[in-house]
Amino acid sequence: MKADMKRAMRPARRGLRALRRVLRTAARTGYTRWRRSIQVRIVTSTLFISAIVVAILGAFLMQQVSSALMDGKVKAARLQLDDGLAQVQRDLGNSPEDGSKLNSTIERLKSRSGPSGLYEVYIRDTTDQYFDGYTTNELRQESVPRRLREELRNAPAGARAYTYGKLSYVDDRPSESGLIVGGTTGRFELYYLFRLEEEQRTLTNVGRSMAGVGIVLVLLLAAIASLVTRQVVIPVRLAAQGAQRLAAGRLEERMRVRGEDDLARLARSFNDMAANLQEKIGELEDLSQVQRQFVSDVSHELRTPLTTIRIAADMLYEYRDTFDDPAVGRSAELLQSQLERFESLLADLLEISRHDAGAATLDVESLDMRDLVLRVVGDIQGLSERKGSKVVLQLPGEPCMAEVDRRRVERILRNLLVNAVEHGEGEDIIVSVAADRDAVAVAVRDHGVGLKPGEGQMVFDRFWRADPARARTTGGTGLGLSISREDAQLHGGWLQAWGEPGAGSQFRLSLPRTAGAELRGSPLPLVPPGAGDARPLYAELEAGE
Amino acid sequence: MTTRGHARPGRMSGRAGLGRVIGRLAVAALVLGGAGCASLPSGGQVITGKPAERAERVDDPYVRLIPVKPRPEWGPAQIVSGFLAASASFDDNHKVARMYLGGQSSWNPGLRPSVTVLTSRITEPQVVRVSANQATVKVLGEELGTISTDGQYTASPKGLEATFLLAKTPQGVWRITSVPGDDKTGLLLSKDDVERAMRTVNLFFFAPNQQTLVPNGIFLPVVNRQTLPTQLVQALLDGPTSWLNGAVHTAFPAGTRLRHGVQVDKEVATVDLTKQARAGSVEQMSAQLSWTMRQLSEIKRWRLRIDGETVTPEGMESTHPVHAWEPNSPDGQVPQGESHQNAYVVGPSGFLGTLQSDRAQPVVTGAAGRLSRPAIAPDYREFAGLSSAGDQVLVAAPLTGAPAPRVLLNAQAGSRFTAPTWSRDGTLWVVESKKDESWLWVRPRGKPPVRAAHWGLGGREVSAFRLARDGVRAAVIAHIDGRPQVQLGRIAHAPDGSLDVGSFLPVSSELQDAVDLAWRDYNTFAVLGRAKRDSQTLPFLMPISGSAITSLGVGSLGEPRTIAAAPGAPILIGTRSSGKDQVCRQRAPSNSYSPWICPTPAKDPNYPG
Repeated sequence: MKADMKRAMRPARRGLRALRRVLRTAARTGYTRWRRSIQVRIVTSTLFISAIVVAILGAFLMQQVSSALMDGKVKAARLQLDDGLAQVQRDLGNSPEDGSKLNSTIERLKSRSGPSGLYEVYIRDTTDQYFDGYTTNELRQESVPRRLREELRNAPAGARAYTYGKLSYVDDRPSESGLIVGGTTGRFELYYLFRLEEEQRTLTNVGRSMAGVGIVLVLLLAAIASLVTRQVVIPVRLAAQGAQRLAAGRLEERMRVRGEDDLARLARSFNDMAANLQEKIGELEDLSQVQRQFVSDVSHELRTPLTTIRIAADMLYEYRDTFDDPAVGRSAELLQSQLERFESLLADLLEISRHDAGAATLDVESLDMRDLVLRVVGDIQGLSERKGSKVVLQLPGEPCMAEVDRRRVERILRNLLVNAVEHGEGEDIIVSVAADRDAVAVAVRDHGVGLKPGEGQMVFDRFWRADPARARTTGGTGLGLSISREDAQLHGGWLQAWGEPGAGSQFRLSLPRTAGAELRGSPLPLVPPGAGDARPLYAELEAGE
Repeated sequence: MTTRGHARPGRMSGRAGLGRVIGRLAVAALVLGGAGCASLPSGGQVITGKPAERAERVDDPYVRLIPVKPRPEWGPAQIVSGFLAASASFDDNHKVARMYLGGQSSWNPGLRPSVTVLTSRITEPQVVRVSANQATVKVLGEELGTISTDGQYTASPKGLEATFLLAKTPQGVWRITSVPGDDKTGLLLSKDDVERAMRTVNLFFFAPNQQTLVPNGIFLPVVNRQTLPTQLVQALLDGPTSWLNGAVHTAFPAGTRLRHGVQVDKEVATVDLTKQARAGSVEQMSAQLSWTMRQLSEIKRWRLRIDGETVTPEGMESTHPVHAWEPNSPDGQVPQGESHQNAYVVGPSGFLGTLQSDRAQPVVTGAAGRLSRPAIAPDYREFAGLSSAGDQVLVAAPLTGAPAPRVLLNAQAGSRFTAPTWSRDGTLWVVESKKDESWLWVRPRGKPPVRAAHWGLGGREVSAFRLARDGVRAAVIAHIDGRPQVQLGRIAHAPDGSLDVGSFLPVSSELQDAVDLAWRDYNTFAVLGRAKRDSQTLPFLMPISGSAITSLGVGSLGEPRTIAAAPGAPILIGTRSSGKDQVCRQRAPSNSYSPWICPTPAKDPNYPG
């Protein structure tokens, strides 16, 4: 049985869950819309506020109508009562008891009562101890509230009083609210009890129509608010879209100017701003173009004289031992080395200006990254031995094939390794290679001075040096990492740096397996295992990307 | 704003235009608002409505007495007074009156109690004997009559003496332990109480001819208006009262009851009878119920169910109006086509004529035309009359030309005949009467006249005898204690076939003198008489139920002698003023206050039947 119950409960629970989901979705959508749309916000608040105002107004109006109705009823009721009291006085006065006279008075009083009549009557002879008076038709004497009787008993002779109460009947009819007026004449108390059914119906009708009108009014206000905000919001939205497109680089984007209102002014200002921006950005672009062109031109122009100087320098260098003055020989050696440095600087400049001009192209072939790494490590073996560093390789067992430009990747790796050796302080240099389905990565880790916070990004800046005072012993141009990063980006890959003062640094090159594919992640961590904490990792990650 | 706009043209003009528009809108709003406030019409077309249907007396407004609960400090006499007063209140099944009783009392008057009617309220009970815990209280009163549980009122003027026993309860208050006469006596109510708490209603039963309905007036307590239909139908199912028992019969088979109360929904009543009713004639039961329920204005249509199944009388819809079944009217079938029956009068030159536009057109001349108090048979085949001295009854036929009258009856010495009267089957009825003696003669058509075997007024002088159109009830003017009094009796057939005309009951005590009477309709007499404190004989309408009489018309009538009335026809009065016979009618018969005019020189007006 319990199982049955459970089985029965399951769909219900499922339905409940679905409902809850739908509700939550709706609420979320509603909240999102509320947050994002001025129109929704204004319409909602208009609805809310106007509903409150209409409700207050409606209550006030109902109050007015009902009090007006009741005032009229009370006035009429008191007139009736005066009439009845006058009749009672005329018929009975204060004369001694005469049953038939009282009876005939009651007969006269009752004639206008009843279900089709206007009111019920209750008359009471205060001196008669065996009767509590007479009522017309089915009316119960309890319909006259005790408070009214007390009031009349304590009031001076001839007083009138009225109150509202419930009229109850001896038959099964439900009791209904009524107006009860009473007065005394001599020893008689006379009460007229008016049913308020008609008034109640009128009030209900009025209330209903007022509620209808109120709802229509609130909806109308909401519609007006919606229309008005629409007129305001649509140009604002267009402006926002325009600004977005402008921000995305479409500088020719303009807003349509219609009319001559505030929004038209906004559009015009926006357009002016856009035109200004376009102009300025164009100028800047031209300027940088000119600069790049200038660098490129200079590099090219320098090559020709450099070649000549090189030939001359080579000759001087070859005959350096023949010079009498050893200082001259030394100068020739110096010249030679500086020329080499100049050449590589020039080559780097050319390379970077090619990147800047977007003229760099990829010449991809499918290669095993391990081979590349081994080759480059072999190339710098001498340098590292000189520096006293040992290069430790961590290569995977299987081939790490990727479509890459051999020259560029070799250049990147060489750069990284040379840097690592130079800043490695003679410690071990660990080169790891890893691959996953989409990407391959090479990380070069040194245990040198490391990088200060923020330097992870700066290392890729052109002509940036970790220590400007350091001797340029290895003849770095200051452009190597910049070019490496450009190369990595050309592959669609990343080149990122991590470092901590005293803990060394690690550079990671991540490349997609297929040239041009988008890189989603790297098979190797940027922060080497066992080093650093979360904070710099984050900072560098952000900087890297 | 506008003037500024005019004064400074140019840029301001736009704003000024806007201001103008706003101004106009404001004016329009004010006008509309003003019109909205003044929405009560002060003119327009005349709207007519249907006249309100006159509610019948049964559900007229009524007055209820509010009893007081016994107070702890009251002594035995006060408790008895309070009990007598409280027993006049039928609310909640005499709840308050029961509070005056000790715990063991089985006093339960119920919805249809038997009532002893007193002339006035008992005001001073006498404490006969009182001890610490017991008391005996005697009340003295003047009894007018009794109402039995079936609602029949019987006059029985006499002194009343009743004894109440009281005991002190452990709580120290006096309570009544014994009500006089056990449950039989029922309630002791004053005349005013009865008039207030009870209604006279008619139940309808069939006359022996199975066609005409006979009203049976009863007293029914008005507990409340909602249960009135149920009470009424229950009373009808209970059958006729002792007064009409044997004279009429009911179409409801014995044992028929209501399955539940009569339900009235939007003027449509549903009467649900138990399955015994299947044995009865649906048409006759429907006729009885229709006529009984039409006294309640809140019922317009009704349907009959037997054992929960709706039954439909032949030729009717299942829900039919209460005003159907007109052929069963106690007034007999009112002839169709004619607006009303032709009146016959005796012309000044000795002829029997019809009254046409206030002139007597001779129909019968010769000796038969000179009969006084002529009465025309309902089938117009013959007519009867009296000799001018009133000591011979003569019959003549046919009702045209100059037929020879035939003497039917000769009066004994010193006695006279009342005006003859016919019943529907062609039977002629006439009462011969002298001081303190009377006989009823009945002559069925084609047979010699015989004296009725049982005649309830044998020891009284009778000056008028008129048979109702239902053939069951008879109205007389009988001299009781030297005063002519209108009484109503009934004609029953004893099991051996002999006629029993009796059970005469006084109808109203408001007239001190009565000269002649006629049946206006089944519920009303037209009576010539003298009201109390009146010196002149005048016509009155007297309801059979005994409620107040109303005077008819204004103006002088001379010395009215005879009166004639028929349903829907003007009332005619034969008078004699300054030695001339005249027949008078009201100028506008539909208006009861219309003055009398006497345009016809004739006497003894009369309607056939």
